[in-house]
Amino acid sequence: MSQPDSTPPAASMSRRGFLRRGVVAATGVAAVAAALKPLLNAELELGDLTSLEKFLQQHYKELDKEEMAAVLERISREIEERYQIHPELTNVKPMDGVEFVYALNLSRCIGCRKCVHACVKENNQSRDPELQYIRVLEMPKGTIDIERGNHHYERPTVPDPDHFYMPIQCHQCANPPCVKVCPVEATWQETDGIVVIDYDWCIGCRYCEAACPYWARRFNFSQPKYASEQELKDDPEIIQKRLNPRMSYLSNRPRSVGVMEKCTYCLHRTRVGEMPACLEICPVGARKFGNVLDPASEVTQILRNKRIFVLKEDTGTLPRFFYYFDERRPQLRSGETDEIVQVTKMDAGGEA
Amino acid sequence: MTASSSGRKAFSAIEIVIAICFLGLVVWFLLGSGSVDVPSAMTPQIENRELLPLPMRFIQTDEPVTKIGGFTLRCNECHRLFSSPDEHASNLTQHRHIVLDHGINDRCYNCHDQEDRERLALRGNRSIPFTEVARLCAKCHGPTYRDWQMGMHGKSLGSWDPTSPQQHRLKCSECHDPHAPAYELHPPLPGPNTLRMNKMEHEILHGGEIEHVDPLRKWQIELHTTPKEDHDNLPQNEAPDAPAESEKRGDE
Repeated sequence: MSQPDSTPPAASMSRRGFLRRGVVAATGVAAVAAALKPLLNAELELGDLTSLEKFLQQHYKELDKEEMAAVLERISREIEERYQIHPELTNVKPMDGVEFVYALNLSRCIGCRKCVHACVKENNQSRDPELQYIRVLEMPKGTIDIERGNHHYERPTVPDPDHFYMPIQCHQCANPPCVKVCPVEATWQETDGIVVIDYDWCIGCRYCEAACPYWARRFNFSQPKYASEQELKDDPEIIQKRLNPRMSYLSNRPRSVGVMEKCTYCLHRTRVGEMPACLEICPVGARKFGNVLDPASEVTQILRNKRIFVLKEDTGTLPRFFYYFDERRPQLRSGETDEIVQVTKMDAGGEA
Repeated sequence: MTASSSGRKAFSAIEIVIAICFLGLVVWFLLGSGSVDVPSAMTPQIENRELLPLPMRFIQTDEPVTKIGGFTLRCNECHRLFSSPDEHASNLTQHRHIVLDHGINDRCYNCHDQEDRERLALRGNRSIPFTEVARLCAKCHGPTYRDWQMGMHGKSLGSWDPTSPQQHRLKCSECHDPHAPAYELHPPLPGPNTLRMNKMEHEILHGGEIEHVDPLRKWQIELHTTPKEDHDNLPQNEAPDAPAESEKRGDE
């Protein structure tokens, strides 16, 4: 008002000042551009881009029936465009009066890894890069120190008499640390105890992966692929053959890059009364699944009558996954003879 | 570029530092690797027949049959006509494909009914059909039978709900071969390949041989190198213990 002679600051910039600010700004822009360079090499497909519908989608718990139907229709359409299969996509709700519990008999497990691969097949996990919910640890007999567990055992036959086998997957904890750390509530516990993830809400921060003491959560570092390029050349229909068309919103529908995923006790099967895929394939019947609120169920009988333990009890996660043993004569390790024979030998040695 | 008379420099020191930092970043981004390398590998493909949820074995129905010389016959079609030989399995003339490896249970008529070969023998003169095989096994395997009845042993297919008609609890002989009940050893399916489970193999020298060790499993390296000494120490460690124990036993 009072200073009509003074010019605005922008216009007052000298040539020198303009140059020096310009140089600093230009180097900054160049640095940002160089940092974004990898995007040029990224193999982005049309389906990788988020559609406006998906972007505006509400949180799973806020969707009413009609909106859910529209979401399922959109996802089905996307799957159909992308993989040329017709999915039976549903949104299965928890059953009333049901709380799922898993029990695994360590005396029976032989470490054949069939559950691992049956799970991959059922739940449409990425084949390339490899992603598996179940990992089987081979541990020396006489300890349950999972630090000594070996994932990479390769033997002509299992079980090895000196080792026992311990499959680990999501424990569906009653006090789940992964749910607590999620900054966007993309993961939560359902009324039947299953901890689920909304893949459309997950931002991929991986906090839950870090919070889980069982390493049960997996991250999609890249767009899941269901066959290698070589396999596609050999059989162009291979993806259609491999994908399980029976899908549900919260479990095994195809995931996209940058989201977490994990075992859901095959909720698309178990919530309609069926058994999880890992249990069905187990050749030794080491896996038991059922409703812990039903006193006649197999898992209730196990919890009542067997020696059970949970993994990392001291973390206070209250898992719904129990390991148990059969009380029977311990199997002999290789080179070990019967206990009675050993004692006699020892006696003989003492006398000599 | 030196200080001008007015004391203003072309570039102040802080601006030079910022510009150098930015230029450094440009060089770093351009020369560095363009993308983050995620260690990854394919899941080995498993043939579908490996992953069929079927019972291990198929059991005899109420009409048990056997194959002899290419013919499928019901048991009593022969056993009605011919008298049964000695019950010891070692001198069988028929059914010679049967390998009997069931511990001390090495007599045919412990399990098979002597009068009616299409039934199984229970205690006394009672007999049961083949479909109720669990009651036969219960004669010796009481605790296992109890566990199986409650669903703690064995395998159920179809449904987790015990009241559901879909639930099918497999019977003893749907998993175990009654003539040789011990489980066969299986070849394991391939193990994990990827990410933190990846076998990022480091070669270490161990007794002149090259071994592959997962770097995330450092204890394995220790385990591979230290046991040599441990082995030498073992007899010494055990030696004092063993006599002490035997003395105790001797005292008792």
